[in-house]
Amino acid sequence: MRLLNPQKLNELQRNPNRVRNICILAHVDHGKTTLADSLVATNGIISPKMAGKLRYMDSRKDEQERGITMKSSSIALLHNKGGEEYLVNLIDSPGHVDFASEVSTAVRLCDGAVVVVDVVEGVCPQTQAALKQAWLENIRPVLVLNKMDRLILEMKLSPLDAYVHLTQILEQVNAVMGELFTSEVLGRTVPEKSQSQIDPDKASSLLYDWSAGLEDADDSHLYFSPDQGNVIFASAVDGWGFGIEHFAKLYADKLGVNEKVLQKTLWGDFYLHGKTKRVMKGAQEKAKKPLFVQFALENLWAVYDTVVIRKEKDKLQKIADSLNIKLTVRDMRHTDGKVQLQALCGQWLPLAKTLLDMVCTKLPAPCEITEEKAEKLMCSATERFDSLPSDTQKLKSVFMACSSDEDAPVIVFISKMFPMERRCLPQYRSHPLTAAEIAERREKTRLQHAQRLAQSETPFSVEGCGDYVNPGTHLLSSGDQMKIEEQKEQEQNDADAFIAFARVFSGTIKKGQELYVLGPKHEPQSALEKLESGEVINPDLTLKDLKSGQHITRVKIDQLYLLMGRELETLDSVPAGNVFGIGGLEEHVLKSATLSSTVACPAFTELAQVVVPIVRVAVEPTHAQDMAALVRGLRLLNQADACVQVIVQETGEHVLVTAGEVHLQRCLDDLRERYAKVAINASEPIVPFRETVVVPPTVDMVNEAIQDQNTASKDGDKENAGEVITLSTSNKHSTIKIRAAPLPTEVTSLLEVHADLLKAVDKHIHSEAGQQNSEMFEDSLSESQMVLTERTLKAIETLKEKLKDAFSSAGDEWKCAESQIWSVGPRRCGPNILLNRIPAYDHPSVWQRLRGSDRRLEYDSSFVNGFQLATLAGPLCEEPMMGVCFIVEDWTLAEETQLDHPSSRETTSSSQPYGPFSGQIMSAVKEGCRKAFQARPQRLMAAMYSCNIQVNAEALGKMYAVLGRRHGRVLHGDMQEGSSTFTVTAVLPVVESFEFAPEIRKQTSGLASPQLVFSHWEVIDIDPFWTPHTEEEYLHYGEKADSGNRARRYMDAVRRRKGLAVQEKLVEFAEKQRTLSKNK
Amino acid sequence: TKMSKIFTPTNQIRLTNVAVVRMKKGGKRFEIACYRNKVVSWRNNIETDIDEVLQTHTVFTNVSKGQVAKKEDLIKAFGKDDQTDVCKEILTKGELQVSDKERQSQFELLFKDIATTVADKCVNPETKRPYPVSMIEKAMKDAHISYYYTFGIPLMQALDVIPLLKATMPLERAQMKIRAVLSGRDARKLRDKVAKLATSLESEDWDGGKLNLVCLIDPGHYREVDEIVRSETKGHGLLELMSLKEVTEGEELLE
Repeated sequence: MRLLNPQKLNELQRNPNRVRNICILAHVDHGKTTLADSLVATNGIISPKMAGKLRYMDSRKDEQERGITMKSSSIALLHNKGGEEYLVNLIDSPGHVDFASEVSTAVRLCDGAVVVVDVVEGVCPQTQAALKQAWLENIRPVLVLNKMDRLILEMKLSPLDAYVHLTQILEQVNAVMGELFTSEVLGRTVPEKSQSQIDPDKASSLLYDWSAGLEDADDSHLYFSPDQGNVIFASAVDGWGFGIEHFAKLYADKLGVNEKVLQKTLWGDFYLHGKTKRVMKGAQEKAKKPLFVQFALENLWAVYDTVVIRKEKDKLQKIADSLNIKLTVRDMRHTDGKVQLQALCGQWLPLAKTLLDMVCTKLPAPCEITEEKAEKLMCSATERFDSLPSDTQKLKSVFMACSSDEDAPVIVFISKMFPMERRCLPQYRSHPLTAAEIAERREKTRLQHAQRLAQSETPFSVEGCGDYVNPGTHLLSSGDQMKIEEQKEQEQNDADAFIAFARVFSGTIKKGQELYVLGPKHEPQSALEKLESGEVINPDLTLKDLKSGQHITRVKIDQLYLLMGRELETLDSVPAGNVFGIGGLEEHVLKSATLSSTVACPAFTELAQVVVPIVRVAVEPTHAQDMAALVRGLRLLNQADACVQVIVQETGEHVLVTAGEVHLQRCLDDLRERYAKVAINASEPIVPFRETVVVPPTVDMVNEAIQDQNTASKDGDKENAGEVITLSTSNKHSTIKIRAAPLPTEVTSLLEVHADLLKAVDKHIHSEAGQQNSEMFEDSLSESQMVLTERTLKAIETLKEKLKDAFSSAGDEWKCAESQIWSVGPRRCGPNILLNRIPAYDHPSVWQRLRGSDRRLEYDSSFVNGFQLATLAGPLCEEPMMGVCFIVEDWTLAEETQLDHPSSRETTSSSQPYGPFSGQIMSAVKEGCRKAFQARPQRLMAAMYSCNIQVNAEALGKMYAVLGRRHGRVLHGDMQEGSSTFTVTAVLPVVESFEFAPEIRKQTSGLASPQLVFSHWEVIDIDPFWTPHTEEEYLHYGEKADSGNRARRYMDAVRRRKGLAVQEKLVEFAEKQRTLSKNK
Repeated sequence: TKMSKIFTPTNQIRLTNVAVVRMKKGGKRFEIACYRNKVVSWRNNIETDIDEVLQTHTVFTNVSKGQVAKKEDLIKAFGKDDQTDVCKEILTKGELQVSDKERQSQFELLFKDIATTVADKCVNPETKRPYPVSMIEKAMKDAHISYYYTFGIPLMQALDVIPLLKATMPLERAQMKIRAVLSGRDARKLRDKVAKLATSLESEDWDGGKLNLVCLIDPGHYREVDEIVRSETKGHGLLELMSLKEVTEGEELLE
């Protein structure tokens, strides 16, 4: 095919120095796919004329229609750089925030990244995200400043202004890099600090140490600068791009200046002294043109001016001649100036060549993997590299060697599974027949013909022959069979095959090789132990046979592919350092996995998840009989998309959780057309809420102070009288006094952030409670469990400290609260607290294990479960609670004898009218919590999106209107320097965000383009049960508050969706009904 | 006054936006004039403003003729003559003329009730999970089944609906899990009888002539099985209900 033949490919693949794995990262619409187009065009896969228009990497129909990329896809390109040939595996990634998970899958497989920035829009949220992701994965970036043509044609900047603008953009990008760098250096010094605390003498020098880390660390290599050759100025749509070395080379001869000097000075505050012909510093001061303006930009501007703006054809020819460029007659005749421009610039400053040259020189080869990256790949941040088994640690050198020798262990990482129509696979593709095949076919048909002849003759000869087997029937049945087989094949062809998107880190993977498939949760330690103890991994196992705790299967490699964008080519083997595809792993890999020849290989660390999936819909088939097809489709979708979750709820609903609206739309389209192939109904998006309580407000809805009996009763303990709920179990044997209070916000956020940690603590305490041997273990946490890493233990300590600080700063009421925490919920890790203030109930706090002899301990878990249930579904609309503290003031149990009696309940269930006692306590606690909650002013909390809107000055007002209507709030809006665009940061409730993007685009005539990302939870400061009751409120809202209560509306919508009772009048205003009878 | 007796369309006063609530007490008929679609809300305590329910705080003997009830009649029947109090009593106890929207909402409620009952009683036989109510509702609408909102309790109607729905979607009653302990000479015979009614046998343990049988049965057969075990073993047998419906519980992450 094309320019790439198998031998050469193989040769290149074997030499990791000549391989580059890169991805293109940028904000949405900054021109990634267009850039990829011009690179693809160099390999003759698409015509250079079509480059920039075709968007070859966007193979999906909806990608082409919407004009955004939705998946990452790879293509292998050949590049010849000064006689040396390179194989570049280019991965194009999506820029829309909804598909950020696709970016992570791409970045993981690369060694370098091309970061594209639109010079007009500058650094956008996704640019920052992309840079951060590249940073986290330790891959080196280069920068492309794209859409230079917009500076000329759209913004009409002069070359000098453009230069200033470009320096600003570059500064913005470097500022992001600097920030990433400092945060990492500071992060690195923190553990050092804690170590040095052992030595008290050093404490004095600590303060100094902090900044010292920052100063010592060298950061010069990480910034982008044209003179370092890692920046390209380009216009992908017009097909040109240049680095400064191009002009340095060009002018070095003309000016007689050393090329190296020019390379250093062409970008920056330098100018050419007119008389001495020497390069001088301080162009700005002396109001001279910087070199870059004089030599690079002015030439470009001149070209654009003649060709596109003034359309002077004769001059064009002159320019072409001076640049030694031949333009075809056809191009010259074209009336569209752009075509000529592209023809000219494409030859003068070829983008693809410049970029690929830079990629090959500036970005590392696969074998240059750093130690740091190898460690990062092998173990997650919460573990320590030394804690891995020694066999595994040895593999680090294997990573670094990147050897494709026979004896090197094979390590392959699969970052995602992507679907491919089966008939697109090379082995099913039709290909020209060889002579031998044609002969074979001819033979076959001749045989068939002969048989048919024989068959038609048989009726005459068979009569009377008893043992004669009629060949006709035999033939017929075999024919039928063939037909059925054909049908099956047809069906298979229609179905999608899943291809694993993978990279070899070490060794050579071959067809027919047998490898271990290590799931994402695989731990080399335990797996090695198991193997030692004689456990054998059954080669027939597939993913669905695996039990919990098992993460290994074995697979025989069936198909290897070279990824060529929309197409695949078969390969027989892939050596280390290459990105490629594997077929036939559907049964073994869910979303990502590691393939290896040794079990000691660790599972690669999980991909950094940037987006929180927040948009949920329930899906169901339009026709009930298609349910099975839907479930099958959902399974496939789940496998193909790293960011999708499918939850089957207890009610039987299938809930699809996606990152955003665009992502949801894609998932539904995929389900309908690709995976399930049945009609599907999706519900309205299910938006999560939280329920909470607040301190009684001091002002009413019209901001008038409330000054009735509330304040009067503040003094004395009357305050609590209404809030403390006293409840008994149904058999009156136990009484609980409970009260709800809002948690200090810092505490809530602490709990929220550390949910994982709390979960770990809980899991660990529980696992221990199972083997309760109270004498054997000490209850202090640090000694009780060795499994928790040092780091986790430290994290727990810091969390405790932080909680203590937060509580003590919240006031006297919360004194010592951190040691009274009984449990957190829901799910034992949520942002709500059960506080133990029971006199003389010595219960250990949540950090420790149960222990002691109090009789109440027996029912302790029921009590906690009641709390868990209550926090999981609040009374407002059965949504989880958040930031609520339940303070248990008292808990009494009846006398022993009374309790003992029911303990014999197990045998005779009828003697226990209220069911088991533990259950009663649970429901009593749950009821108590709910009532206590209701006794306080209740509020709903809404999930908020933060959104970044780029908007033109004239559309600003309309954008504010749209935001206001949807109860959004603008945090800040800045005008971008040198342009008329504003960057506005706003928050918006998720529940109001549907159809937000289309609406704002419509209202502002397409001038604003928002990006929504989940940011936080926010209290809606309206009582859902509010009705006007003060005089001012009556005045303002009228008796019925006809402006509607937002919180109430949300609450009712959720209740209606869940099938709960909604307090709703059939008719709100009795008088306003249609007053005529129907027949009049 | 004679003019008003002439009944022509022009001077005919139609009672619009009026729902009449009647009550017979002390041999007399009392009526009050209410707004349409409001009485049920009042009775459900959703509407609390009496002025949004009553057209006028007057007790009539006949609303459409405008005949007001006499004070002495009120005292005789209700023991009080405060119009509002009497109105409230009639509102809560009287016979009600159901208005259009009230009827519609009642019908919807019944429809929902039936759907919920069906969803509660049935499972998808392939997954052993219930169907979401919305899917059942849709299937019921598509099946064009008629419901009688005055007739029969939702449960009975739901049981009638299930076989009709089976034609359009894979659906079956959630099975009951029972445990039967049979002993004695007839144990084997009884076992066959029970097994005949069961959809599947989960486990079967013979222990010295004593049979411990765990099986799934259709809830419709429960009574029959109960009858068999009770009468034929003459009280020796034991039938225990292990779970009302066998369904897959809990949330599950699809993988």
